[in-house]
Amino acid sequence: MDRESPRLRLSILGVVVVSLIGTLFARLWYLQVMAAPEYQVEAQANRVRTIAEEAPRGRILDAKGRVIVDNRTSLVVTVNPHDLQAVPDSAALKRRLAETLTRFGVPTKVSTIERRLGDKQYNPLQPVPVAIDVPEELFLYLSERADEFPSVGVRRESVRAYPYGETAAHLLGYVGRISAKELADKQGTPESPKPNDKPYQPDSNIGKNGVERSYEDDLRGRPGIKTVEVDAQNRVVRTIDEQPPVPGHDIQLTVDLDVQRFAEQALRDKLDSIRGGRTRDGRLRAAPAGAVVVLDPNNGDVVAMASVPTYNPEEFVNGISQTRYDQLTGGAVSENPFINRAIQGQYAPGSTFKPITAYAALSHGLIDRTTTYNDRGSYDAGDRVFGSPSAAGPVNVARSLTVSSDVFYYWLGHRFYRERDVYGELAMQDAAYAFGLGQPTGIPLVDERAGNIPTPEWKRKIWESLPPEEQAIGDPTWYPGDNINMSIGQGDVLVTPLQLANVYAALANGGTIYQPNVVARVLRSPNDPVDPGGVVRVIEPVVEHQVPLPPEIRDPIIQGLRGVTADPKGTAYAPFRGFDQAAFPVASKTGTAEVKGKADSSWFAAFAPVDAPRYSMVAILEESGFGAEAAAPVVRGLLELVSGQRLTDPSEISGGSE
Amino acid sequence: MDVVLVVSVAALAATGVLMVYSATRGPTDPPDRSFLVRQALFVTIGAAVMVVVTLVDYRRLRDWAWTLYGAMMLGLLGVLSPLGQQSKGAQAWFGFGAFQVQPAEFAKAVLILTLAAVLAMWAGDIDLRRLAVLLGVSGAPMALILLQPDLGTVLVLVSIVLGMLLVAGLRLRYIVALTLVGLIGVVGILNSNVLKQYQKDRLTAFLDPGRDTQGTTYNVTQSQIAVASGGLTGEGLFDGRQTQLQFVPEQQTDFIFTAVGEELGFAGAATVLGLYGVVMWRIWRTAQLSRDLLGTLLCVGVLSMLAFQVFENVGMAMGIMPVTGIPLPLLSYGGSSTLTTFASLGLVLNVHMRRFR
Repeated sequence: MDRESPRLRLSILGVVVVSLIGTLFARLWYLQVMAAPEYQVEAQANRVRTIAEEAPRGRILDAKGRVIVDNRTSLVVTVNPHDLQAVPDSAALKRRLAETLTRFGVPTKVSTIERRLGDKQYNPLQPVPVAIDVPEELFLYLSERADEFPSVGVRRESVRAYPYGETAAHLLGYVGRISAKELADKQGTPESPKPNDKPYQPDSNIGKNGVERSYEDDLRGRPGIKTVEVDAQNRVVRTIDEQPPVPGHDIQLTVDLDVQRFAEQALRDKLDSIRGGRTRDGRLRAAPAGAVVVLDPNNGDVVAMASVPTYNPEEFVNGISQTRYDQLTGGAVSENPFINRAIQGQYAPGSTFKPITAYAALSHGLIDRTTTYNDRGSYDAGDRVFGSPSAAGPVNVARSLTVSSDVFYYWLGHRFYRERDVYGELAMQDAAYAFGLGQPTGIPLVDERAGNIPTPEWKRKIWESLPPEEQAIGDPTWYPGDNINMSIGQGDVLVTPLQLANVYAALANGGTIYQPNVVARVLRSPNDPVDPGGVVRVIEPVVEHQVPLPPEIRDPIIQGLRGVTADPKGTAYAPFRGFDQAAFPVASKTGTAEVKGKADSSWFAAFAPVDAPRYSMVAILEESGFGAEAAAPVVRGLLELVSGQRLTDPSEISGGSE
Repeated sequence: MDVVLVVSVAALAATGVLMVYSATRGPTDPPDRSFLVRQALFVTIGAAVMVVVTLVDYRRLRDWAWTLYGAMMLGLLGVLSPLGQQSKGAQAWFGFGAFQVQPAEFAKAVLILTLAAVLAMWAGDIDLRRLAVLLGVSGAPMALILLQPDLGTVLVLVSIVLGMLLVAGLRLRYIVALTLVGLIGVVGILNSNVLKQYQKDRLTAFLDPGRDTQGTTYNVTQSQIAVASGGLTGEGLFDGRQTQLQFVPEQQTDFIFTAVGEELGFAGAATVLGLYGVVMWRIWRTAQLSRDLLGTLLCVGVLSMLAFQVFENVGMAMGIMPVTGIPLPLLSYGGSSTLTTFASLGLVLNVHMRRFR
């Protein structure tokens, strides 16, 4: 070591220090100048949170403004998961909370609370509901004991209320927690988001069925959005922006609550009264289900739509349990209460189909109103004889409808087959299509069925889709018998009650096929901040198309339908005995659809008053017997109601013939 | 009297008081002023201590070296006894009412004085036997501090020793050997049971900061976000959102630089780094100007201490150094560290003042 070494060594130290400080400068430059933008995004994500507050949903009113679906306040007990972490003995708190809830009549287990807290659908920033619809006393008890129950909160929440219980349950639908798929449909995916001014959260409610679903975008309010800044402990420090929630629009239905309730009650009563009995040929009347549709033929408005069995939408308010859902849907299809049979039930129309065959024959000139055929009680199609319950003798088209002659229609069906070179092989099918069968009516309700109008091509395709061993038994050929079966609404013809009501509405109004409609108007909420109660829009009738119905075609059909209840030989003369036909003349048709191995399905279709029709009605009662026995009395009761006649006790109405 | 040094130190200390306030005032009104008041008090006392240390000739201070060394060892032993207090996993404090005293902080200044005295006495002639003595003198307090455990302060002491031995004339191959032994020692400590698992995790977290943002590396991630989101000009004093919403734990002490970075931006943070550069340049210059080896070595000790602490602390806040709990001199909140820094700077001013006589 020479004397100069401290000086030299100090220089080494100096170089080290300079390079250390230089390193710090370089890193500082990188972080604050080059990488700052991306870190600023992270800082933003750190501290800014948006909290959505659901807006009250719009109400659903009937045609006369009565509230069918309302909102009510539910008292909810919540636990804030974040605060719970800070509670020293959270297990004891959960136990104490479960005991308290149970003591106040809300049986709750610790495991239930834990399951709710672990549910990913809840926003971790917001309290998680652990008990819903708690009594006011518990609400007060917990509010006063915040210190004993840290992290536990109570709040009031808006949920659906059904002042008329089960009434119109299928039509109204229900509301439930949004599913992942629905959320993606409404919001898009993170890669391709859809703009939505009523954004959903994973715990938002959404209309699942019926009008609640079809008119979701009107009924849903705009959620309030609160943008807050939080600190490292997730405590809200300040509110950056706040948009208050805007209530959803009210929906006014075309449905008349009085007619709706009557239809449901009459249908249910009739099914109950005949259930367990036997038909004349000894088959059991299981009478499990049925439907009623009442339309206004002048615009396609649904006045009533009933389906039995039904369910109580109240069960969905706090989320239905899987056990309960399985219990309701576990039985036979005919017992499933969630099927809206008015639009989802597909039945052979039986004799109610005859006016369509008659229309096909008249419009093609196959017959005219005077053409007579002698009904001897059976029809020999050459290779096969088609029977019928009775022999009507010589009948023209009007008479064939009044007495419901099968043989007259076998003859028409067979002629359409034999003369297919002249009229085309789809003459009857095209008539059915013209009246809107074989396709959904377009009513704004989800999952409507199309029914079925069989054609030679359809028959072949069905056969081609069969496995080889079933193809060997089956046959792809369209035979005369297929035409003959179709002519009386049997075979593979399937219609929904709504479709059939629409057919009779078109017969009533001179041939206009409307798209049936359930909503009359969309209104602003009484609490709307801009225009309380104002009209958002009026739903106008939608004409699907026009069936040409000149008098020479329409008159004989109407005459025949008129005779069904008015002529002593009419198939529904007996069940309409005593009905004031002078004041409210009825055109109608009975139908008895054969179902293999079961009692017949009972149909009745009608419109009234004949000269200026205001109602088109259809009733079907599954496995219940003749149309005149089961379905006609239900429709008679409805006609009495809407025409202001004295209501006849159903037990006094006698059954008719088929 | 080195005016440049004094002005730079004053600017840093004032910035420190301000940033401690910003980091502790809280997001809601009324702001918490308790840290502001205390840090201002520490700085005032520190300035007074600096004046006292400056006034007594450093060659007379040398005579006190062994006495102070003894007192230091007693303090370090005492803090490990039941008299000491445990906090944040380390047995490192004596409690005096509302204040806590951390003997390991004072040990830094005492070791500088002691080593300078011994090395100046041997005047660059260090054989292996003398080296062993020196390592014994330095190793004893290090071992006690490691038992607390406080690896950060031990590393500061190591850099003081290395810097002073370098300038005192220890052969370069010994320096290299010592550095190697030191590295092996650190690895050994990381693999032994002296440190608790979370402390080891903290030390190694900087190697892979994306690993676990809510756990061990939370601090590293949040402090980088804070520094980076300051950008060029900063979010403004008291307006740093990361700082005001307390996303950076221990921000007023070990992570005070993040508050500077976020609220004052590159402009402010670079100025602070620049001020440290000026302070170190003035100390280095004083080391050169000193009339004797004792003065030079005192300055070198202080320089090594400050350079390591600044590099380690600021580097940790910016994610390029492991997380160890050492304060940023003059900026971090804390009485013991503020007093030690001022006392050390007093030694430098002392040497500077007496460079001609």
